[in-house]
Amino acid sequence: MDKVEFMRFWIFIPFIFLTLFLPFFLSQYWLHVMIISLFYVMMASSWNLIAGYTGQISFAHAAFAGVGAYVSGMLAVNMGIPAWLGILIGTSIAGLLGLGLGYLCIRMGGIYLSLTTLGFSEILRIIITNEDRWTRGTMGLQIPGFFIEYSKMSYYFLFLIVSAFFLWVIYRLIRSEMGLSFRAVLNDELAASSSGIDTIRVRILAFTISSAMAGMAGGLYGHYLMLITPDIPSLGQMFLVLAMAVIGGMGSFIGPILGAFVLEILSEYIRIYGEYHVLLFGLVALGMARFAPGGIMGLLEKRWRLREMS
Amino acid sequence: MRQRILEGKGVTKSFGGLMAIHKVDFYLNEGEIVGLIGPNGAGKTTLFNVISGVYPLDEGELFFNGTSISSLKPFEICRLGIGRTFQIVRPFLKMTCLENILIGLIGRGERQKNLREKKKEARFYLEFVGLKGRENSVAKDLTLIEKKRLEMARALATNPKLLLLDEVLAGLNPSEILQALELIDIIRSQLRVTIFWIEHVMGAIMKASDRIIVLNQGEKIKEGKPEEIVSDPQVIEAYLGESNA
Amino acid sequence: MAEFLMYLTNGLVMGVINAISAIGVSLVVGIMRVINFAHGELYIFAGYFSYHLSLTLGLSPILAMPLSVIFVFLMGVLMERFLIRPTYGDEMYSLIITFVLSIILQNSALLIFGPYPNKPPTLISGATSFFGLFHYGNQRLFSFIISIAILLSVFYLIKRTWFGKSVRAISQDREMASLMGIDHLKVNMLSFGLGAALAGAAGVIIAPIFPVTPTGSSAISLTAFVVVVLGGMGSLKGCVVGGLILGILENLGAAYISTMYRHIFGFIILILVLVFRPWGLFGQRT
Repeated sequence: MDKVEFMRFWIFIPFIFLTLFLPFFLSQYWLHVMIISLFYVMMASSWNLIAGYTGQISFAHAAFAGVGAYVSGMLAVNMGIPAWLGILIGTSIAGLLGLGLGYLCIRMGGIYLSLTTLGFSEILRIIITNEDRWTRGTMGLQIPGFFIEYSKMSYYFLFLIVSAFFLWVIYRLIRSEMGLSFRAVLNDELAASSSGIDTIRVRILAFTISSAMAGMAGGLYGHYLMLITPDIPSLGQMFLVLAMAVIGGMGSFIGPILGAFVLEILSEYIRIYGEYHVLLFGLVALGMARFAPGGIMGLLEKRWRLREMS
Repeated sequence: MRQRILEGKGVTKSFGGLMAIHKVDFYLNEGEIVGLIGPNGAGKTTLFNVISGVYPLDEGELFFNGTSISSLKPFEICRLGIGRTFQIVRPFLKMTCLENILIGLIGRGERQKNLREKKKEARFYLEFVGLKGRENSVAKDLTLIEKKRLEMARALATNPKLLLLDEVLAGLNPSEILQALELIDIIRSQLRVTIFWIEHVMGAIMKASDRIIVLNQGEKIKEGKPEEIVSDPQVIEAYLGESNA
Repeated sequence: MAEFLMYLTNGLVMGVINAISAIGVSLVVGIMRVINFAHGELYIFAGYFSYHLSLTLGLSPILAMPLSVIFVFLMGVLMERFLIRPTYGDEMYSLIITFVLSIILQNSALLIFGPYPNKPPTLISGATSFFGLFHYGNQRLFSFIISIAILLSVFYLIKRTWFGKSVRAISQDREMASLMGIDHLKVNMLSFGLGAALAGAAGVIIAPIFPVTPTGSSAISLTAFVVVVLGGMGSLKGCVVGGLILGILENLGAAYISTMYRHIFGFIILILVLVFRPWGLFGQRT
């Protein structure tokens, strides 16, 4: 392990302690913020899997979360299906949609994927807003929670466990042969293809896994809030997820985690003054993308490397 | 009779209105080193791109060991046994040397070997091309000749029976050229790989090839042993024509 | 029957406006391989400029409209020069940058112009009778005529002028064009600006008919993208045909099936194109 990895590892350990014991000292409000942050950790990390590791910019990530939330929610409300099962079904449907969309677009190139996912996102939001007999549209649909007895603490640990699971899956994936293929496709698709990598299959696989993850995250989110609205599959949410990955550091493992926590916590502070956080994050994300494409993680790594050399 | 490892009949490819290669017939025998020469814009790299599946051909047929490869995708053609390097070298810049070669191994599509075994084999190729010890160096930090060696190693890792080399000697100084020629010779004799090779460094390619094919403006104008080609008036005309223009 | 003809005419009018908007996208994609996600925002910014120039500053619409387009052109040029140019060769980052930009512009529009729809004054009032079957708004007819004029100008620009030839040369092979002496960076900048200007033109033409709102920009971008995919990337002819088809389908669909799902028809067309003919009507099969 080189020095950077070594340092990262040792920051991680106290962080884990913190996440396990902190909730007992936090107020209900801040516990809520932590839970929301964990939702974004799931979303940003899974988006980073396709954007940071295979170079595909999808705008349907929030939409897939919406799929998870609404499928699970409506199944619970209309058919009494328990949350855990509903979420699994929502995840599968999100994954299937991801597979379908991916198969249609990826053969044609990255631009087509971005366009189609944008379209998909908008259309889903329109459908959810308009079919208010089923979805209650913008008023929101009330759905049962995950736990019979409401307890923020329980939700916190639920989200923590699932986030850890996501991160474990992503970590194993990146370290595997498939992960190497992802990065080869990211670096140079033509060279990868000429070296025997079925680049289309690799990209579709990444996209499908990522969509399913978004679906699961959305399902959990919905059952936590117990009220789902078309805001979940909106481009505004999509932007937040993107900003977290970009600012935190695309293509790095910790970047999206960092971005999720930083932006979510910051937005709580900014919200006191008004809904300016989107604009602010936009400007920061723009600056990062333009001047520091590696995000915060990229900047930190550069400083560590420079210090090593001098 | 030696098996024809690669055969093309009437291969034609155009872009928009521009004809890049026109009804080119050619073949390679197993174990040969065949050079492909011609002035700039003659269609040499286009031919390679058509063979390796990067461009679909407009007309004609292509056979690799008797199997038609005209409509296959690049990764399928690679797995059948055709490897290649690129005119402008293309290693995976943000990945280490070992990882670059691993991709070639992964590209074979074999399920049996696990990652550890593949890494061992990758180290073999690393050493074969003379990059021992550079395992963890990131590709973008390599010099030009090191990048070329890396690209070669990656292509060899795919276990090719035929290797397409596109101007490997470009940008190398004379001693590096000699090293490269040695490597190519070892590839043919030790690894038993047939080589199809585009080159502008005339002295080198004439010395090392069994046979030369000459393209000019998309058509094959001559084919034969190096001695014959070097003194052929048509070939000289084609090149002179280029330097006059 | 009269109703049907009216919807059809609406479709044609919207169709040519769609075409203008789509060409703005297609040009930039063809020459720079970049999709400008902020397209819709530029469109509505032009609409807002037009509104404020005429109502707040009291300029006549004949001045306000072209001025707004020029403002948006300048915005496009600045965007290209400072944000897009540094990302050359990296498709992914230009997508991210234009998307983030679109969010920034959208939110800025909300802050600067407010959330309420704004409608600049019409140039021409009254209505014309069509064969005695129905009356059609003169402003819409005027929009139609202006749109056709703009389309013809763009075609002329691309086919006949030096600029157009440079654009086509660069679209085919950037290196060759550069070797032939074309200042490809300058052409890029101007093309991007032109793309923005076309978005702006579409915006100012539509604004007197349908008011502009800051939240409508995503749908506008999406419509333009669908037209480009339907017509075929890089084909100007395709933008016109695609724009007309989409305009007519959306209007007929909205009238006879459902108004709320107007934009779904576009998305359905997108999916159908991807399934059956991904390179579009006039695109190149790769």
